[in-house]
Amino acid sequence: MDHAVIQLIVSGALMGLVYALVAYGFQLTYATSKSINFGQGELVMLSAFVSLTLTNTGLPYYLMIPGGLLFGVIAGLFVERAGVRLALEQKSEGWILMTIILGLFGISAAENIWGRDDRPFPTPIPTEPIQFFGVSITPLEISVAVGVVLIMVVIELFKRKTLLGKAFEAVSADRDAAELMGISATRTIMLSYGLSGLVAALAGILVSPITTVGPTMASALVLKAFSVAVVAGLESGFGVVIVGLFLGSLESLTSFYVGSGWREAPGLVLLILALAIRPTGIFGKAVIRKV
Amino acid sequence: MLVVTDLYAGYGMSEVLMGTSLAVKKGTVVALIGPNGAGKTTTMRTISGGIKPTGGKILLDGAPVQGFEPSHIARLGLAHAPEGRKVFGPLSVEDNLLLGAFTRLPRFFGFRAKAADDLEKVYDLFPRLKERYRQASGTLSGGEQQMLAIGRALMARPKVVLLDEPSMGLAPVIVDEVFEIIRRLKESGITLLLVEQSAKRALEVADYAYVMERGRIAVEGVPQELQKNERVIAAYLGN
Repeated sequence: MDHAVIQLIVSGALMGLVYALVAYGFQLTYATSKSINFGQGELVMLSAFVSLTLTNTGLPYYLMIPGGLLFGVIAGLFVERAGVRLALEQKSEGWILMTIILGLFGISAAENIWGRDDRPFPTPIPTEPIQFFGVSITPLEISVAVGVVLIMVVIELFKRKTLLGKAFEAVSADRDAAELMGISATRTIMLSYGLSGLVAALAGILVSPITTVGPTMASALVLKAFSVAVVAGLESGFGVVIVGLFLGSLESLTSFYVGSGWREAPGLVLLILALAIRPTGIFGKAVIRKV
Repeated sequence: MLVVTDLYAGYGMSEVLMGTSLAVKKGTVVALIGPNGAGKTTTMRTISGGIKPTGGKILLDGAPVQGFEPSHIARLGLAHAPEGRKVFGPLSVEDNLLLGAFTRLPRFFGFRAKAADDLEKVYDLFPRLKERYRQASGTLSGGEQQMLAIGRALMARPKVVLLDEPSMGLAPVIVDEVFEIIRRLKESGITLLLVEQSAKRALEVADYAYVMERGRIAVEGVPQELQKNERVIAAYLGN
């Protein structure tokens, strides 16, 4: 393979990691509540705007990040309380519409507060490319990759190594039985929405310096993340990374060789193929159950 | 320890419990028997909070708990090993047991060390669980899952244990094993409410028993009496 192709794959794959991170946010809430926040993209966007505002007040980058993440957690908790909890209590699918509506509110709010224009997001991380074996990559892109992998590793360790994380898995496996162990399903679902908001905010902070910040910055992003989540299956954190990397590379190759207008095509084609051939996703687990 | 008075509950519009009353004294094993659909499992689920009662009282260690969330009632000292075992299939045997003690363990780190003594006790009671402690619990046999469900309930060091249909779907030789365990738990002083389809076995192990019919307690007494009661013999004990 010549360097141009490798270059395309590498830069596409980096964007793919951001899709994977947003998709991971879907998985977190799906695990505990079988519901997802269809306004996840708006959470990414709002967190990016809040982080930009924090930066503009003169807050240094490393202090802005916790602020932006905190906003993400609070916004995630708000979505759970305002849009999801009542629907789940009534065993209704109303959360679908509610989270979409909250997302639309988010866009309107952003347009009113910050305006419709896309804005650059300043970052102290250098953007001059470094050469690795003939492939050029910017420290900013590396920071995206490191951020995505780091947060996913930390959350996966939390789920596997701490008792609270195991409780998370227990609610996912059998909500009623978990309640009988004294594990509050409501609080676990809140926690999962909080984590999902955190992940969305991090995605916003990481991707903004590359894409700029605007009210519709995340609408394409979230569509692709949704494809990744469905193709990988809604259970496997490892799966979304693999599929994310694959889709990112494929997009970048498509837009170069077929035309940049075709950039969004691979995500939709993969989504349709997955729904037609394997609706549980490539990495979706068959449930082991004995009665 | 557990007192249920005049309990009414059901699913939607259909009332299943119509004035059920029963009591479980500390350190005793009480059996709840009766035909299918009498409301035995509904009674259990209402006590542990899965179904909200429409009337009546439930006292756990003297304090009312009716209408509370199941997780709240569990924290107050009630452990319910539900019908159908309901183990956390994807999680390992040991993780299932640790989650049984969720209410009294640290949430993040050091929980394994704090639960070590209780794990040891459960493994002594069920050596087969120790052999398989890392296995996903969904891959265990039905009997092993039942043992895990009982062990998980014991991990909480509960004041009262509810055990629903432990023999359901198990081979007779495994049922013998399960009832041997119940007998040993009884000797160790457990407070247990046992729902069981096999009335004969339940009466053998219980200190006191209630016979339930159509949402009410029809007959109650010590097993020796019930075993002589003609109505009970005709309906549940057979030849």
